[in-house]
Parts: sequence; structure tokens; C-alpha cells
Amino acid sequence: MTTRANRYDAVRMNREMLSSMSPPTWRWYLLAAVLGAVVAFGLYAFTVQVTTGMGVTGINRPVMWGIYIISFVFWVGLSHSGTMVSAILRLSKASWRRPILRGAEAMTVFSISVAGLFPLIHLGRNWIFYYLLPYPNQRGLWPNFRSPLLFDMVAINTYIIGSTIFLYIGLLPDLAVVRDCSSGWKKKIYAILAMGWRGSAEQWQVFSRGSTLLACLIIPVAVSVHSIVAWDFAVTLVPGWHSTIFAPYFVIGAITSGVAAVITLMIVIRKLFKLEEFLQPVHFDNMAKLLLAVCLLWSYFYFSEVFTTWYAHKPIEWEIFSFMSSRYGIMLLIMMLGNTIVPIIGLCFRQVRRSLPALLVITLLVNLAMFIERFLIVVPSLSHKNIPFIWGSYTPSWVELAIMVASFALFFLLYTLFAKFFPILAITDVREQEEVLLGSQQNGRTRLETLVKEE
Amino acid sequence: MEILGVFKTLDSAAAAIDKLIAAGVTEERITSLSSVPYPAGVLIKKKRLPRFYLWTLVFGGGGAVLGFSLAAGTAWLYPLQTGDKPIISIFPVGLITYELMMLFAIIGTLVGMFWAMRLPKFNRQAYADEIGDGAIGVLVTAEDGPKAEEVRESLRDSGAGRICNGEEGA
Repeated sequence: MTTRANRYDAVRMNREMLSSMSPPTWRWYLLAAVLGAVVAFGLYAFTVQVTTGMGVTGINRPVMWGIYIISFVFWVGLSHSGTMVSAILRLSKASWRRPILRGAEAMTVFSISVAGLFPLIHLGRNWIFYYLLPYPNQRGLWPNFRSPLLFDMVAINTYIIGSTIFLYIGLLPDLAVVRDCSSGWKKKIYAILAMGWRGSAEQWQVFSRGSTLLACLIIPVAVSVHSIVAWDFAVTLVPGWHSTIFAPYFVIGAITSGVAAVITLMIVIRKLFKLEEFLQPVHFDNMAKLLLAVCLLWSYFYFSEVFTTWYAHKPIEWEIFSFMSSRYGIMLLIMMLGNTIVPIIGLCFRQVRRSLPALLVITLLVNLAMFIERFLIVVPSLSHKNIPFIWGSYTPSWVELAIMVASFALFFLLYTLFAKFFPILAITDVREQEEVLLGSQQNGRTRLETLVKEE
Repeated sequence: MEILGVFKTLDSAAAAIDKLIAAGVTEERITSLSSVPYPAGVLIKKKRLPRFYLWTLVFGGGGAVLGFSLAAGTAWLYPLQTGDKPIISIFPVGLITYELMMLFAIIGTLVGMFWAMRLPKFNRQAYADEIGDGAIGVLVTAEDGPKAEEVRESLRDSGAGRICNGEEGA
């Protein structure tokens, strides 16, 4: 009988994986202060918009959707891969998911929360946002459920709550580990968050089945949320938007940007918290293969849409494409490079997939290209709609740009705070692989064959 | 009462469970406490779980009814005539019903899991902080008196580093 105590050192693994929660350094405070200042400036810009009116934005006839809706679609997209990829990898029992899933799930919660702010900012008279809520009132008003704004509100709230529950359930055993490793007031707080978890065999059994059930439930929600965002566009008669493949095209685009963002964050987290032992080249290699697959799918959808427009040559649709390629030619080129050419060619090579600097550049480029893609979906179609005498264009104002930049800062600030107060690696999942699944031979009261391989 | 023995290694905990079973303690009265999940049989055999997924079904059904009532019922109560469009439209009613059904199914799963795991539990229970650092707890439910003393003796003989009663834990 082999004793497994010598094969691993749970204490050391706990300490290393919890190193991100060590007391903050001055660099951490500096980062948090800079991000906080950018968020504060965004709040100032929003205050200007509220007190002055929507005239301070670049939104005007005929382009009534601008940076706010573009950012909304972008952030909803970014939120996709976190929970969804984590759920798919959990269901497919991909053991390499373990060090990745917590960071991905947290990314979902924060990006969908940031996304949810943009419809509210875009509303105009933001202070009466509660008109969206269905409640009996003396005005006799009732929200119009035929409005896509209501679809969005319901879908986003479902996804925020669902993703938060998915993240929290996954965190539960890790919160108990943090509780056991801490003392004083911290121990009290983590004891409350851990809800009295003590890892009994029955609790683990329920946890395992419940997590699988939650994963099955969250995947269709994730698909529906981005489909609903796509239908905001597709159910209109605006040329360029009224397309049957918009929903799957949006979903694939969302997964593409989400997978790229997970890789970017993994690279940053690995460097900042010195987690080289846990986030190894094989994890980046596998995620890069996933990114390659979704980039190929995205390109297939995009070119399917463009080729049918080009071959049919319907005047108004072709006018929009001509306008986009002439007015926004550089942006179109960056989008093609970032979403198709660079990732598809680059990620075919193992050396690139395992090179972190190369992956960082590619994944940042993918998300830049994705933001541009959202811009090119929204603006050209609204600029050159069916009636030529109201054609126009759109340039975002400083207020819109400040709020957009602040949304990025807010996301990174929330993520930084999360990484400081919660385990950014799924401790029990990683340890389960190291201590249980990689083992074979006599194991406790039974004999188990090796369930997973290291790579 | 609950008696907890804390073991440094998996194998010593497994041997302790074997010894307890040999001494006549039924497996239903024994459970393991660990910071990582072990496959069924490594420490404790798979146990029959409460049907917590019924919460998912009940909540999901309730969510569907709520979603349908919100979208279709209120459109009927507060009719808003727009062109020749129907007052109750299938597309939005379907979407809102689906989203609320999924939302409540997820909430129901959470509630069901907590119910099945008997959480939250904030009062003191048999536990040791070493478990978070990889130690294995063997928890036995026994009547106070000679039987409890037998269990303590058995755990001590099997090499338990620490033995505590239910109220002495974290």
C-alpha cells in the first residue's frame, strides 16, 4: 500500500495558490488607485451627461446607437466564455480546465455586470430607469414586454444571477480552505461565506452532482443571452442587421472574444501572482487550440454573411458594405487581421501556442478586432439606412469615450479586488487532480486506475 | 453525538474506517471530512442522496409560470395596441418565459444543493482546521456512553492525531 503523504504537500500547494491573497503591496494600492481614478473620471463624464442631456454624446440622427451599445455588446460577448467555457470543460471532464476555471468564471460575472450598466447609461433619462421594472403604479404604466429592451433586461439579470451562483458554488470548498488557513476577523468573514462547509463525503457527492446540473443549466442561458442581444439587431428591418444567422454569429463572436480574454487574464495572473507551477504551457496550448477553433468558426460565419451580400448585390446592403469599406477601411483591415488572419495562421504553430508573449499579443489583437467588429456592425448600418436623404455618420464624444474607458478600468478594478480577497485558482479542483486523479494503485480502501494524465 | 478523528494520511484514515466497520459500526454512521473529493469507495461508499434536483424542477416550473404571467398575463391586463400587432405576442412571451424558467431553475438548484448539504450551518460542529491543509477527518455518529468510548478508542488505536467531540470543532 502506498502512502500518498509523500507524493504531495497540500500545505505548500494551499499556500502557493493562496499567495494572491497575501497582504497588498504598494504596487497593488497604486494599481487600484489608478483604476479607481479612471472610474471616477468616467463617473464625472456620466454626471455631465445626466446634468446636460444626451446632446453631449455623439449620438444623433440617423445613428442613435453609439459607443454605449457597442460597449454593451462587447462586454456581453466577453462575459460569454467564462462561465460557458468552464461549464463545457466541466461537462466534458477536461482535466486541464482546473487552474483556469475560477479566473474565467470571475471574468464572466464582472464583464456581464459592466455590460448591464450600458443600457442604463444609454437610456437618456437614467433616473427613471425603474420604469423598466414591472410593478403596479399610479401612472397605470406597465413595461412593454414586446420591447427588446425588456428582453435584454430579463436575460442579462438571469445571466448575472446564474453566473454569480455558478461562481459561488465553485468557490464554496475553497472558501472553507481559506477559512481554515486564516485567523481573527478574516476567519469569521470566510466562515460566514463558507456557510459551514466541512467537506463531508455526502457534501462532496451533492457538490459534484449539483455542479454538473448547474453547468447544464448555465450553457443554454449563456447562448440565449447573446442570441437575445443579436435579436435586438436582427428583428429590425435595418439593412445589414436583418439576418437569420445573426444569433449564432454573435454567439461565436462572443465565445471568441471571451476565450481570448481568458487567455490574456491567465497570462497576467500567472505573471503577477507567480503561479507558473499551476498555469503551465499545456493550459495555454489547449486554450489556444480552442481559440483557433472558434476563430475559424467566426470567420466561416462572417464570410457566409459577406459572400451572400456580395453575390446577391442587393443595392442597400451593398451600399452599407461599400460605405463601411471606404469610410472605415483601416478598421475593417484590423478586424480581418485580428479575428481571422493572425490568430488562424499563428495558432496553427505549437511554438506560438506555447509562447506567452506571442499569445498575449494575439489575444489582445483578437479583442481589439472584436470591439471594432461591434462598431462596424452598429455604425455603418445606421449611417446609411434605406432613406438616402437622412444618411449621416457618427463620431463619439469625449463623454462617451471617457465612460467606455472607465468601463475597462471598472472591470479590471473589480477583478483585481476579487483576486485579492478570493482564491483566483480553484484550489480544491487543482489539488484533486494532483492528489486523487493522478494517483493509481491502492487508494484508501479501494484500488483506482489513473484517471487522468498530466498532459 | 459526533466524534471526529483527524488523520494525517489517507491510508491511515481508510484503515481506521475499516477497523470501525470491523468493530460493528455501520457505514451509515461514518463519514469522511476532506478538503478534496475522493471517489466513492476510497474512504466511504457512495451514499443515497436526497433528490435535490426536484427543487430545480419545482423552481423551474414556477419560473415558467411567472414568466408567462408577466409577459402574457400583464399584456392582457394592460393592453397596448400597436398597429396590427397581437396583444399577446409569441416571441417575447416565449423569451421571457424561458429566461425566468432558467433563472428559477438555477436558484432552485442552489437551494436544493444547500438543503441536501444541510447548509448553512453556523453553530459549532465537529471539525478541525488541519482538514483544509490535507488532513482527513473520520466522523462517527454514536450514542454517548460506552459505545462512544469504544469509537474513541478505535480511532486512537488507528493513529488519529486528534480526537474531538461535536461541540469542540470549528
